[in-house]
Amino acid sequence: MTEAALEVTGLSRSFGGLRACDNVTFAVPHGSLSAVIGPNGAGKTTVFNLVTNLYAADEGEVRFYGTPILGLQPAEIARMGLIRTFQSARIYPGMTSLENVLAGAHLHVRAPAWRQMLWLGGARREEARLAARADALLDLVGLAPFRDAAATDLPMGAQKLLEVVRALMAEPRLLLLDEPAAGLNDAETADLAELLRAVRDSGITVMVVEHNMSLVMGVADEVIVLDAGSIVARGTPREIQRNERVIAAYVGQET
Amino acid sequence: MNQLIQIVIGGLLQGSVFAVVALGFSLVFRVTGAINLSQGAFCVVGALMMYTLQVDFGLPVPVAFVGAVLGTGLYGAVLGAATFVPAVSRLPQSSLFVMTGGILTLTEGLLLVVWGSQPYALPPFSGEAPVQIVGIRVPTQGFWIAGATLAIIVTLWYLLTRTTAGMALRACAENRLAGRLMGIDVPRMTLASFVMAALLGGISGIVVAPITSLEFDTGAFFTNFGFISVAIGGLGSFAGVIMGGLLLGVAEQLAAGYVSSLFANGLALGLLLAVLLWRPNGLFSAAERRQDVRDEQRIHRAIVRIEGKGGLVFAAFALALLMALPYLFPGRGILNSLVITGILYISVIGLDLLMGYAGQVSLGQAGFMAIGGYTAAILATKYDVAPLIGILAGMALAIGAAILLSLVTVRLRGTFLALATLAFGLMVDSLTVGLADVTGGPSGLAGIPSFSLGGMSFATPFQMYYLVAGVIVVLMVLLQGLVRSGFGRALKSVRTDQTAAAALGVNVPRYKMAAFVISAALGSLSGSLYAFYFHFLSPEMVGAPRSFEMISMLIAGGEGTLVGPVFGVALLTLLPTVFQPFAYYKTFAEGLLLVACFLWLPDGMFGTTATWVSRLVRRWSGRDAVALVPGSQPP
Repeated sequence: MTEAALEVTGLSRSFGGLRACDNVTFAVPHGSLSAVIGPNGAGKTTVFNLVTNLYAADEGEVRFYGTPILGLQPAEIARMGLIRTFQSARIYPGMTSLENVLAGAHLHVRAPAWRQMLWLGGARREEARLAARADALLDLVGLAPFRDAAATDLPMGAQKLLEVVRALMAEPRLLLLDEPAAGLNDAETADLAELLRAVRDSGITVMVVEHNMSLVMGVADEVIVLDAGSIVARGTPREIQRNERVIAAYVGQET
Repeated sequence: MNQLIQIVIGGLLQGSVFAVVALGFSLVFRVTGAINLSQGAFCVVGALMMYTLQVDFGLPVPVAFVGAVLGTGLYGAVLGAATFVPAVSRLPQSSLFVMTGGILTLTEGLLLVVWGSQPYALPPFSGEAPVQIVGIRVPTQGFWIAGATLAIIVTLWYLLTRTTAGMALRACAENRLAGRLMGIDVPRMTLASFVMAALLGGISGIVVAPITSLEFDTGAFFTNFGFISVAIGGLGSFAGVIMGGLLLGVAEQLAAGYVSSLFANGLALGLLLAVLLWRPNGLFSAAERRQDVRDEQRIHRAIVRIEGKGGLVFAAFALALLMALPYLFPGRGILNSLVITGILYISVIGLDLLMGYAGQVSLGQAGFMAIGGYTAAILATKYDVAPLIGILAGMALAIGAAILLSLVTVRLRGTFLALATLAFGLMVDSLTVGLADVTGGPSGLAGIPSFSLGGMSFATPFQMYYLVAGVIVVLMVLLQGLVRSGFGRALKSVRTDQTAAAALGVNVPRYKMAAFVISAALGSLSGSLYAFYFHFLSPEMVGAPRSFEMISMLIAGGEGTLVGPVFGVALLTLLPTVFQPFAYYKTFAEGLLLVACFLWLPDGMFGTTATWVSRLVRRWSGRDAVALVPGSQPP
């Protein structure tokens, strides 16, 4: 039995009369690559937002490697090693691609502000080290040519990739990706799948919310299907593809 | 008892003007989502036009009244079409807010040029003799004020709820994009709300002018108090802002009548801070948390970076120029201005870190200058404390104030944070005037010694120049080190997207506070040096208009660059020296510069120049000596 990176128990949240997230329970095993799928409005992103406390949950419990994290500030959750990206690629405007990626390393800047102020050797070496790592990551995803371009000038697909790379700079234990393939073409999606597998193999637990079935079915170890705020199915991609409730949720009531 | 009733009536009259100004705020806010700081200026525009028509031209009151109201409306229309309307669609919220402050300054400057700096008072519409009602004396003008206010409220209510144009205005308020899709001409509605607000201001200014005295810069007073009324009442509700205005008027008159008129401002501001903290939505609105959750995504600045060797060359060149300037311009007048430029620049650097990097608008930077200036000056003159100790004490006090202010305002963002800093600046302002025993009051504090350090005195402009230059060099090295590293990136990420920053582990409140503390410390340092250099300090040298002036300097120079703002400071400090008649137009020019830079030069002088230089270098050498990246375009 592997340790659970994330354990969600009975998570619920209503907006007005709408149960956006209704008694959701699941666990993400350490070292796995899980995916959450579901039709529009199923509450996929809401689950992420509740886990990272962007919205407060009404009920439920969330444990991150055994520690309850519900109600902690988003920054504290990030500090514990749970890093997320956003559906709308929230890269920082007014910064270059490199600076954006470097900003992801915020939690790993060890030199205190006064050392940075004095241009001390240690602080500068650390900067150089982080920059080298950021360059390597940019190179890995093919964004090296855009290193010094304003990040907001990149096409949408590249911005999404940049956000993933920025999250990787934070060296997460668990990476939550919100629709990373939105805006990517087929070739880029294949590259992303490759990247996600590599990330998982490097020991980082990954969870994606995704619309793109070919990506999910290609890379996920386990798939959770949400509809109208509740989990309707979970299992391996093969199981999910044959599950009638899932087909019903996606195609409509035919059974 | 009679005295109390009389004070309350006076307060209600005063308050009804605040209420009408607040209605103007609320109207523009509803249509555009922007706070228009120029609102109060239209009161003065209307009143001074009325003075010219009625007193200088001898027109009868009704004719002069109509003329003045139409004139105010026309001015509002031209100004709004040229500045506010294009800005609404182009600028992010916080910049728009600051830009309307520029429109206020511009209008004040224009009034100064046309009407001069003397106070004006209109003759009452129906004679001087007050009416006696059961032993209480009411000035006849009071009936005009009450009548005009009622008429305005009823007309506005009718227009907004009973006419098609009013519905269109309200539709814009709900959703601008949807309004456009429904065929509503949103820019025209924006202009309409701006002009209507100008008319409201003009009318209330005209009717109140006979019982108060107006100068070119009284507009800021109306803006402040109208704004405070809005904050008390809650932006969303017309009834709320009217109540807020009346309440504020009465509270202010009671404070002036029973405590001291010098503290009336301070008490009003205390009221504002209390409301902001206790009921952030205003006293009369539904209790939803007031928080500006919109993140600033529309930042279209160029990224100005000078790489590696280019940076070293630039720094060496700047250093050489800094050292040589007193020899290049030995004239006393210019050297004097250079010293002032340097001293103000120190404060503006702090402001740049806060606004340009951390993205927090502060309208109270001069308040920290006042803390530093007065602390050092009082310690030096009354207690014979060494200047350096005085400076450090001032900085400690300013840092304490900044920490306190950022702790109490931690929940506020955007416009409301700016409002709190404005209140802070005005509060310091009113303390420096009110605590006359300690600060010398409005007439100032004289006999401040020169700065000296271990027997070395910096008495001449020449000596002072090198002291200030030295401080600036040290600050530049330290802060450049800071902003090029992790700390700077964290600040910038807080500026552009607080949610994403927090998701990457940035402790957002702590970084905001750090930027605020550094900027307060630099403001204080600058204020102390200012006092030591002039040997004199008065409240208006470090008053609220100074805060706006420094913002103009920052924006004109180029925010978020640390180096850039020096060009803005130099421009606004040196021009009046080099070109004496310009001094008269200085206020106007400051406002114009701020507005124009926001509209047409978003990167400031530094950013724009750097872009041109980099293009030239690239053309000549065929390679990128200065790496420059064009800013992203707004959607």
